[in-house]
Amino acid sequence: MSTTTDPVVVPPVVSESGAPSSDAGGTRRRLVALARWVGAIVIAVVVFGVLVATRGANPFSVFSDAISSTLFNATSVQEIVIKAGPMALAALAVVIPARAGLVNVGGEGQLLVGAVAAGGTALLLDRSAPGVVVMIAMGVAGALAGAVWAGLAGLLRLTAGVNEAVTTLLLNYVALDLLLFLIYQPWRDTAGSGQPTTRPLADGAKLPVLTGTSIHVGIGLVLLAALATWVLLNRTVWGFTLSTIGGNPEAARRAGIPVPRMMLTSLLYGGGLAGIGGMIHFAGVEYQLRPGILVMIGYSGFLASWLGRHRVLPVLIASLVLSALIVSGDSLQLDSDLPAATANVLTGLVLVAVLGWTGSRPWIRNRKKATS
Amino acid sequence: MILVDILAGGVRGGTSIMYAALGETVSERAGVINLGTEGCMLTGALTGFAVTFQTGNPWIGVLAAALAGAALALVHGVLVVGRGVNQFASGLTIFFLALGLTSLYGDSFVGTSIHALDPIQIPLLGDIPFVGPILFRQDALTYLSYVTAPLMWWLLFRTRAGLLVRTAGERVDVLTVHGYRPETIRYAAVGIGGALAGVGGAHLSIAYAQSWFENMIVGRGFIAVALVVFACWQPLRVMAGAYLFGACLALSPVLQAQGLGINQFALDALPFVVTLLALAVFGRRTLLAAPEELKRVLDRTSA
Repeated sequence: MSTTTDPVVVPPVVSESGAPSSDAGGTRRRLVALARWVGAIVIAVVVFGVLVATRGANPFSVFSDAISSTLFNATSVQEIVIKAGPMALAALAVVIPARAGLVNVGGEGQLLVGAVAAGGTALLLDRSAPGVVVMIAMGVAGALAGAVWAGLAGLLRLTAGVNEAVTTLLLNYVALDLLLFLIYQPWRDTAGSGQPTTRPLADGAKLPVLTGTSIHVGIGLVLLAALATWVLLNRTVWGFTLSTIGGNPEAARRAGIPVPRMMLTSLLYGGGLAGIGGMIHFAGVEYQLRPGILVMIGYSGFLASWLGRHRVLPVLIASLVLSALIVSGDSLQLDSDLPAATANVLTGLVLVAVLGWTGSRPWIRNRKKATS
Repeated sequence: MILVDILAGGVRGGTSIMYAALGETVSERAGVINLGTEGCMLTGALTGFAVTFQTGNPWIGVLAAALAGAALALVHGVLVVGRGVNQFASGLTIFFLALGLTSLYGDSFVGTSIHALDPIQIPLLGDIPFVGPILFRQDALTYLSYVTAPLMWWLLFRTRAGLLVRTAGERVDVLTVHGYRPETIRYAAVGIGGALAGVGGAHLSIAYAQSWFENMIVGRGFIAVALVVFACWQPLRVMAGAYLFGACLALSPVLQAQGLGINQFALDALPFVVTLLALAVFGRRTLLAAPEELKRVLDRTSA
């Protein structure tokens, strides 16, 4: 890739060394990319500090409180891991269809229906069937529900040509109303008082936790799912074919690839993963369905997927980071008397900076378009 | 009369969606889809409320809301037009940003209320049976919206500026050949989109709810984006669609006032289900009507 013909020369240094693409150039490019990442995050943090300061809070104490009560506190660290689990699965639900050029903004809804399906299965079985059977049934139900939810958007895309980003987004709200409908009436725990919830899951059906911690086996499942997804995307024909569609759907179609079927399967697979995410959060953390369950986790997963540029390992790391931001939001509320949702500002700023200043430049894309 | 109540509520509740959807029409006509419309509405709602609360003048509030909405939309504009970021990713980022900013700055306004933009009955017209209570006993911002939709149609299809916006969405090359800068036109369109979304949000906080609470838009902005698609990017159809959703939203309070025991959340899902159904039915047709540049975004999204 020669940078010399680039009409917009970024730093003059690059154009001097850019003629033969040497190792030195590659290293420099990588360093520049790294510097951009660091710069982007620093800018986001500084802007956030200024905004916080305008609300009368001392940004330095906000940051130090947030860091000390989030990262140096065993409970909070576990909390981060627990929240990152479903978030990472919701993010993988974005990653897989993204390979085919699809945008799944429905992680939120797919997580919710997964939790709802798991909750429903639990209500049916947990007092009669052995724990392991209930767990498996909940997992299957969650995965199926998530897959159906994403599949609905896939079907609309394939039959009516409606963009999946719009439909998955709308389905999120339908999923939320479905959850609320169920827990306010048919599934409501009549013994509970205050906030409407379902009856708690029977002890035998709760996902086992690592002794002494709140980290449940579902987190292991997340890692397994991530590994499986990585293999699927990078080491199988299916994954390769999927990327072909993302690269050029028309070429893929002409090469005889069943594009619609592949698109649908990728959404089903992704939705299924997110559904499992909902299930592990229900069976491993919450044990009952409540109104605010999993709120914003799916959207954060979407952002995590973009932050990690749709590659599995970076996406896992991004999920951890965004999860830490959410958890630090709670500490903001306690320590600095700022609303917990304030952490969304930092998430948004980081995303703006990272998307805007570390990605491909539009002129590079235009050139690609011109050559293709 | 239940029907009158639902329709009057539809006009009242649909107004905020209409403003946002009209703005989004301009933006999408220029080839930029903005999921951050939800965020622009939120920002507009808070800014409008806060400024009205401080100054006592709702119109200054509406103006400030428009500016705030435009400012946020321009962040989307910079990312999408200037940096080539994926439009959906950028839009959702904007939504997050707005969600955080409005809860950070809106905290102190939760629980306060204002009395501004109350419904005004128009003397003779308001007495017409059936039509009067639906159309002519509304607030001033709603009256303004009756003209905004036709005005937007006129601007888009009968003026030079509108032609430029539509060209930016259909054939960018033509603009370049004629010495225009497509980027500038798109920035303008995105900004106008955000401003109108801000006004929509302000209608919700100043006139509709007359209060502010966190995340008060609850998906209306996303509905507006979907509405623009199935209204085939036509301002007058957008107007009709907005009232349809308004009516869906109005159904729940009206039926509850009648003492009908229908689960509220089943009704809350209605606008979203109706939107999905409408998209399913009109989907194919809309794809043909879509601006060419937008088709690239909607039909095949590159990473």
